[in-house]
Amino acid sequence: MKILNSILCVLCFAATAANAQNKSHMIGLGPSKVLDTYLTPENFSGTGITYMYIKEQRDTTRHWSNTYEHEVDLSNTHDRSHNINDLEITYNLYWARYYNFRPILNGLKLQAGVAANLCAGAIYNMTSSNNPAQARAALNIMPSATATYDFHISRHLFTARYELNLPLVGVMFSPNYGQSYYEIFSRGNYDHNIVPTTFVSAPTFRQLASVDWHCTRKWALRLAYLGNYQQAQVNNLKQHTYTHRILLGITRSL
Amino acid sequence: MKKDILVRLANSPAKLAKQAKLALLALLAFLVTSCVSQEERPNTPQGNFEALWHIIDEHYCFFDYKDIDWNQIYQTYKVRVNDNMNHEQLFEVLTDMLSELRDGHVNLYTAFDNGRYWNWHEDYPTNFSDTLQRRYLGTDYRIAGGLRYRILDDNIGYVYYGSFSSGVGEGNLDEVIQHLIFCQGMILDIRSNGGGDLTNAEKLAARFCNEKTLVGYMQHKTGKGHNDFSAMEPQYIEPSSNLRWQKKVILLTNRGVYSAANEFTTYMKRMPQCTVVGDRTGGGSGLPFTASLPNGWTVRFSACPTYDANHNQTEFGIEPDYNVALTDEDFNKGKDTIIEHARTLLNSN
Repeated sequence: MKILNSILCVLCFAATAANAQNKSHMIGLGPSKVLDTYLTPENFSGTGITYMYIKEQRDTTRHWSNTYEHEVDLSNTHDRSHNINDLEITYNLYWARYYNFRPILNGLKLQAGVAANLCAGAIYNMTSSNNPAQARAALNIMPSATATYDFHISRHLFTARYELNLPLVGVMFSPNYGQSYYEIFSRGNYDHNIVPTTFVSAPTFRQLASVDWHCTRKWALRLAYLGNYQQAQVNNLKQHTYTHRILLGITRSL
Repeated sequence: MKKDILVRLANSPAKLAKQAKLALLALLAFLVTSCVSQEERPNTPQGNFEALWHIIDEHYCFFDYKDIDWNQIYQTYKVRVNDNMNHEQLFEVLTDMLSELRDGHVNLYTAFDNGRYWNWHEDYPTNFSDTLQRRYLGTDYRIAGGLRYRILDDNIGYVYYGSFSSGVGEGNLDEVIQHLIFCQGMILDIRSNGGGDLTNAEKLAARFCNEKTLVGYMQHKTGKGHNDFSAMEPQYIEPSSNLRWQKKVILLTNRGVYSAANEFTTYMKRMPQCTVVGDRTGGGSGLPFTASLPNGWTVRFSACPTYDANHNQTEFGIEPDYNVALTDEDFNKGKDTIIEHARTLLNSN
């Protein structure tokens, strides 16, 4: 009977651990920089808002775990003369599969793996009437790593986490150098519009640093910095969207 | 062998640390140097001149067709620009430079004026009078989307489409054709239609063909060179699955027919029952793009050239089948010579 109880306990623990996960909702504000030479050679800068949702498996009994991140960004930017505005909206989905290294240095957990990033968005130039918009769509495979460290400050538990996603290969949509959207969507004239990319032609990378204050056993307040540097140089066109955000949010441990 | 490697690795932790540092340095170097950025020219008169010249140099699509030496134009206008000039003086120089392109799709938009080249219609008679048109349309004409229409006394349908920027729906076109169905012909007047949405032009043209019709070609630039163009892609008009006009149609044009309206004329020239009457169209066969300068001014320019079904450029207009102009004599009688000519053609068939 004792043995049976032990087995049941181990199974319950394993089941709980398998489902153990953190869910975080964050919202943040910060500067954005946008360049798209399809629309104009001028650089645009302004302010943006970002909503982010992270679902992270905390299963330490397994070698591999998954993390899902949804990131929605909306920026209102202007050129240096303040005459012309670009509205930028992007949705990013990151699905990462990490290998969990054995904890080291008493509380430091390291993960390394690969993330699949699906990006969709648009830039709308609010003063132009002929080629006012540019669509963004990309699928990237990004080597990724995280470091998580638990520490205490006067009996309060904190968790610091850092995540880095680096470019490797991908595929993206882009009109050709002087190709109009009328040709693509009304006429169906495609010309090198689905472009394979590498870390050289699309050096997109992203970092997320956060500190959680575990105010209760299940809930934590999160302060984070997000730096997302999306960029590409394909079809003789250059584009980048740099976003820096200070995010505030909550994390629930399940 | 594997054991040897492990032993060697275990024996050289300093080596490992060095390698890790090197990898980190390489990563940092990559992140710092891998920025995709664009050189910004200064927001000075000379900087704006350079920015404009380069935008046109890298994107404009008719240099060869118009035999324009853009480098020579740079030399000519560069000496007229200095950093002490005010924005109105700069606007004048930049507009003069752009006028060398002889292109109605090239504009410089500022808060105080729009730089333009309108010689393509200003140098010619209008051949259109809304005073005369009112004599034909009256006041009880019908309106369907962007179309105004009525049946004239001799049972000829008259349809006026003043701008392809005004939308027209499939339902509108059905209603117009249904209303004119017992007429012996249609006059489709697009005089002074300066263009607009190409999809409206396609939608309307699709009512005048019974089979997939090759109407022209289109291409775009693939790089900064003056001759970096994609292959010519054929453009077809597919017959509408709704009501289609099967009788004669006379298309009325003048020099004010530009851009999408010029393109529509190219389409209609390919329709078997269509005859074009009036003056040569204004042209404007390059699909325009825009870009901005450091000072916030916006420049528009032709970026994607289109051609007719015989690979001919229509940038400088399309000749009508019957070149007819308004006469003073008819004007004084309250008659539109071009409409009257079209009526004669329709009544004689």
